[in-house]
Amino acid sequence: MEANDHAIVRRVLDGDKEAYGTLVGRHSQNVFRVAFRITGDEADADEVVQEAFLRGYQRLQSFESRSEFGTWIYRIAVNCALNMVNKRKHEAACRIGEETDPAMQQVQVADAAAGPERTLLSREIETLQAAAMASLTATERTAFILRHMEDRSTTEIASALEIAPNAAKQAVFRAVQKLRRSLAPLRVNP
Amino acid sequence: MNHISEEHLIDYYYGEAESPAAISEHLEACSDCAQSYELMRRDLEDIKPIAVPQRDSAYGSEVWGSIRGLVPSYEKARKISPWNWFRLNWSIAAAAMACLLLVAAFFAGRKWEHRNGTTIANATNEQQGRQRVVLLVLGDHLDRSERLLVELKHAEPSTEGPLQAEARDLLSANRLYRESVKQQDPALASALDHLERVLIEVSNEPAGLSQAKLDELQKEMNTDGLLFEVRVLRSRVQEDANQKRGAADARKGVSIL
Repeated sequence: MEANDHAIVRRVLDGDKEAYGTLVGRHSQNVFRVAFRITGDEADADEVVQEAFLRGYQRLQSFESRSEFGTWIYRIAVNCALNMVNKRKHEAACRIGEETDPAMQQVQVADAAAGPERTLLSREIETLQAAAMASLTATERTAFILRHMEDRSTTEIASALEIAPNAAKQAVFRAVQKLRRSLAPLRVNP
Repeated sequence: MNHISEEHLIDYYYGEAESPAAISEHLEACSDCAQSYELMRRDLEDIKPIAVPQRDSAYGSEVWGSIRGLVPSYEKARKISPWNWFRLNWSIAAAAMACLLLVAAFFAGRKWEHRNGTTIANATNEQQGRQRVVLLVLGDHLDRSERLLVELKHAEPSTEGPLQAEARDLLSANRLYRESVKQQDPALASALDHLERVLIEVSNEPAGLSQAKLDELQKEMNTDGLLFEVRVLRSRVQEDANQKRGAADARKGVSIL
């Protein structure tokens, strides 16, 4: 029978470093999934996964046995991913950054909206969706991803983002409003 | 009739409304709200989850392989001090020293090769990637420590301890960092050692932080000097991380061409 996560954590804290590899194996796919959805970049997501498990190991003594290791490491990963997004944004702001103007992207998408075919429309939705997501703040985007794509509750989002539940709810609300506004042209055009 | 706000409709859509039965009832009775909800539902259903690239079953092992070398064993970190170990096992210690010299010679050789441009790019990338992760994590640790020291500088005497909780949290990580940089970076290790003593003092004060304790920390442990030291180190670590990133980006460019 496979040992549960808590038993493995105890083994690691008792000096069996290699046992941590089992935890990494069990949870790395989940952590990668959320890291990729938040960062939007494969290499960054891989880096976030490494960083999250490294931090997890270093803070393992503070892991409380009443919570689940999977939830705990997921929370660390969300935090690392959010830091990564903010860092990238800062780096982009330090460079020129003209090519990522969301207004420009929206204009380009509107020009391509003429085709009535379903495939074209679907591609248009994807492009517009990506542009709309990019227009959100890092916190709004992360809160929305956790709510809409990762099925996390407001409490879980609040805890992952280290904000109050009401602030998490507001972040999702603002994200939905902005996204709906950005996607409105598609609803009007048949 | 009062209409339902968009915020409540969003809660309802995600199954988090406080009274879902009342909202369902209202939506049946109010065509305006029902239409608003239907439009919102369609908009949200149009937003499909971001497709995630596949990672194979060996991914976990690869991740573990990339961080295994960076983390010391908990038992070793807690129980065996290197000095005692050397005193008790001097013959093994001598053999270990010989091995260390061998490893040092090996790495010196590799470094020399690297300077001559013969190092394999992939191996370097992997190592650089690891170093970047370490620098990022270390930078974050120094950032948190700096914040704690600033808060400590302006702290009012208190019996409750958010500062103490933060200090306890930083303490275990600090020990691991100090251990791992001891050989490569004595200046950083010494600063982390100083920081550790302050963190121990802050976290082990059972009755909270009195004015006398705060003054004592400031005078006897020179927390202001430590704050400056941490700031300098943080910017140095940040620079190192940026350099590593710049080097990695440059290599990426070359390999594409």
